[in-house]
Amino acid sequence: MTNHVITLTTRDGQQVRFTCETEQNLLAAAEEEGIVLPSLCRDGGCGACLCTRVDGDYHLDSYNPQALPPDAAARGDLLLCRAHPQSDLSLEAPYDFDRIRFEALASRPAEIVELAPIAENTVRLLLRLQPDSSGGQAAEFEPGQYMSLEIPDSGISRAYSIANTSNWTGELEFLIRLQPGGTFSTYLEREAKTGQRIDVRGPSGHFVLQAQSLRPRYFVGGGTGLAPLLSMLRHMAELQEPQPARLYFGVNREAELFCLDTLRELTEALPRLKIELCVWHPEPSWAGFRGTPVDALRRDLEQGGPAPDLYLCGPPALIDAAAETARAFGISDEHIFSERFLPSN
Amino acid sequence: MFCYQCEQTTRTDSGNGCASAKGVCGKDQVTADLQDLLIYGIKGIAQYARRARAFGISDREADGFILYAMFTTLTNVNFNPARFIAMIQEAARLRDRIKARYEEAARDRGTAPEVLAGPAAWQPVDDMDGLLMLAASAAITAGREQVGDDIIGLRAMILYGLKGVAAYAHHAHVLGYESDELYARFEEILDFLAGEPIDAEALVNQALAVGQLNLKALELLDAANTGSFGHPEPASVRMTPVKGKAILVSGHDLKDLAALLEQTKGMGINVYTHGELLPAHAYPKLRAYPHLVGNYGGAWQDQTREFAEFPGAILMTSNCLVEPQPRYRQRIFTAGPVGWPGVRHIANGDFSPVIQAALAFPGFQEDAPEQTITVGFARNTVLGVADKVVDAVKTGAIRHFFLIGGCDGAVPGRNYYTDLADHVPEDSVILTLGCGKYRFNRHEFGAIGGIPRLLDIGQCNDAYSAIQIASALAGAFNCGVNDLPLSLMVSWFEQKAVAVLLTLLSLGIRGIRLGPSLPAFLTPALLEQLSARFDLKPITTAEADIEAALHRAA
Repeated sequence: MTNHVITLTTRDGQQVRFTCETEQNLLAAAEEEGIVLPSLCRDGGCGACLCTRVDGDYHLDSYNPQALPPDAAARGDLLLCRAHPQSDLSLEAPYDFDRIRFEALASRPAEIVELAPIAENTVRLLLRLQPDSSGGQAAEFEPGQYMSLEIPDSGISRAYSIANTSNWTGELEFLIRLQPGGTFSTYLEREAKTGQRIDVRGPSGHFVLQAQSLRPRYFVGGGTGLAPLLSMLRHMAELQEPQPARLYFGVNREAELFCLDTLRELTEALPRLKIELCVWHPEPSWAGFRGTPVDALRRDLEQGGPAPDLYLCGPPALIDAAAETARAFGISDEHIFSERFLPSN
Repeated sequence: MFCYQCEQTTRTDSGNGCASAKGVCGKDQVTADLQDLLIYGIKGIAQYARRARAFGISDREADGFILYAMFTTLTNVNFNPARFIAMIQEAARLRDRIKARYEEAARDRGTAPEVLAGPAAWQPVDDMDGLLMLAASAAITAGREQVGDDIIGLRAMILYGLKGVAAYAHHAHVLGYESDELYARFEEILDFLAGEPIDAEALVNQALAVGQLNLKALELLDAANTGSFGHPEPASVRMTPVKGKAILVSGHDLKDLAALLEQTKGMGINVYTHGELLPAHAYPKLRAYPHLVGNYGGAWQDQTREFAEFPGAILMTSNCLVEPQPRYRQRIFTAGPVGWPGVRHIANGDFSPVIQAALAFPGFQEDAPEQTITVGFARNTVLGVADKVVDAVKTGAIRHFFLIGGCDGAVPGRNYYTDLADHVPEDSVILTLGCGKYRFNRHEFGAIGGIPRLLDIGQCNDAYSAIQIASALAGAFNCGVNDLPLSLMVSWFEQKAVAVLLTLLSLGIRGIRLGPSLPAFLTPALLEQLSARFDLKPITTAEADIEAALHRAA
């Protein structure tokens, strides 16, 4: 066994170092040394742990090519959860140092407060953290982050973006697309009920608002990819942040739209927010935008104006198309932030 | 971006100052440029405010805005670019209002209004790119090629001193204490700067005028604090946690602390002071709240660790804020001039979100073993025992006074002040103020004839108290302050310390030792001048500086 030295440089120029044996994956090795790097599925499926090689050799286990497209892999992008070092490695991370945690994430018990359908094949799951020994119920997270939810007594967890903002009453809101045959979806459909205990772990993730940026914020969400964007917009409303914002919320059919009342409230709270509901295959009576959110984004970028920061969340195809469109209008990758939603079994 | 207003500014062989994408303090380029632009806009208000006063017109809203807005540009106060854009627009609105009133008054009196240039004529634009293009002409270094580093340095010293004055006067203002004379002088000096002065002697004189103005601001704040909360009295402060829910209040603002104490009355939440709010425990009307239980942590530079470990809500009422870490970013709140993008801000004095947060976090699970220190040796207390102090000096029981005061910071060179306090001889008394005291205020110093050897005068603004004490002692000995067995070893960090230094110089105080490094805006020529005129000198080593001080006194 050979121990390799891994040096990870964050976007803001800071470094962490850890050692990793060839048999270990980089993510697990870092955690063994108490360095918790952003990740999500930890199984090569989501792309949340993507970093870029600067120097050194590695081997990748199998992974979802949607999480690490071939051209990205060819450039030296890698998934920490699937990568094994074959020499010392120097890596670059796409996030700042403060996204790294230096302790294990705590697991906390929560209770299902509400589980209700909000659109075709989509449910709203509202949890409330159980009070700690002193009655504390703080739900602390940054808008855009996610939590892992564990199916009771199963050891099986799935990660979902949080749709509300951090609060002092322990509430965690999730918008979940029910996947046919999906493990967590099956649990939600068959077993989950109000009052049931469910353990949550987190928060995690670096798909968060670039708080310092004064550029307009364009949010592109497909389906339940709306969830983290909703959290960001709610945060903007709560803090009355002044950046102009646009939300492009896309679904395939009108029956799949949800949270419309919430979106209406947000436009009242944020006078500089414009919302475009995009239905790809609408009924003839649909008076809103016909097409994908990327179509609507392209239409608006063609109008010119100050270049925005782009926040993309949803299926990989949507994210890739939106990013490609943005780049075509001169928006560089450092202003494009995304989280890919991939169905898990 | 170019900024060299604080002690920690980048220093390299090729020059001093933060000039990259981000300053040492964490302020990014856009925010730094917007701060410069805001200062430029404020100068425009002052240009018209000064002329309007000649016609008996004043605008208290604009006066208050100038203080508040300048305070936001101090080191470690406000990092939120969106707030600066709003303030820049507000500065233009207020300037236009005063301008209109001035021009109307001039015409009413049959005189032609002056047509003013520079900041007075500046028009803000709506888009960011346009704003940032204007920032180049607003930078502190604008015109350096023409006027040279010495003139730029003198202008900087005046501007930074004024920022300090603004901070002190703002704290007084929020407590309802204002002074038209102060506003008028403040605006006169800003107007002087707006004229891009190049006469070195005039600049030095204006710098000393800033010092005099700051003395008025300190006096006003002293009146505001003692008038609102009573005269500080010696008080024992618990330095260890008490079991229960908790809120930590940092910064300097006693009014915010008082409001929070009032709003948390009877709720079972313990309130702790942090950093420069430690002296709050000495004010009778604040001490009267039983849930003001103690002080937590040390000086500002340790906050990322200490706030992360604090099990409750945190409120920042003024500097020094550094980037809130994810572990506490959701439970830290800013108030008043303070800001960080994405962090919740309390603008209206209603601290209920802070209280909700405190209740949602566990608080301290048990009482820690009790440790206390004593604070509250402000002017009223010390002068109350002046006879005893004078006798002790006359009998030789007290050989010397060392004022070890000012800010703390992270650089290793600040260990000097710890060493200094520890090496001061047993027959000498240490007076301290500011947050630099956290380096030694838990050490055991004992007493001389019942007078504690460590006398904590208070916050940095309590330099007023220190000046009053020194003046009274000089009166008792029938000598000047410079003739007292008193040495001033000042640690500086931000612009309030610049203001206090200018005050001391304007009072003719000589021989101050300044550290850990000298201000980057003081060029060698300026330092030489200050050294020749005021014997201002850098610190060396604790032992050598103590020896030199005692030798001088002997």
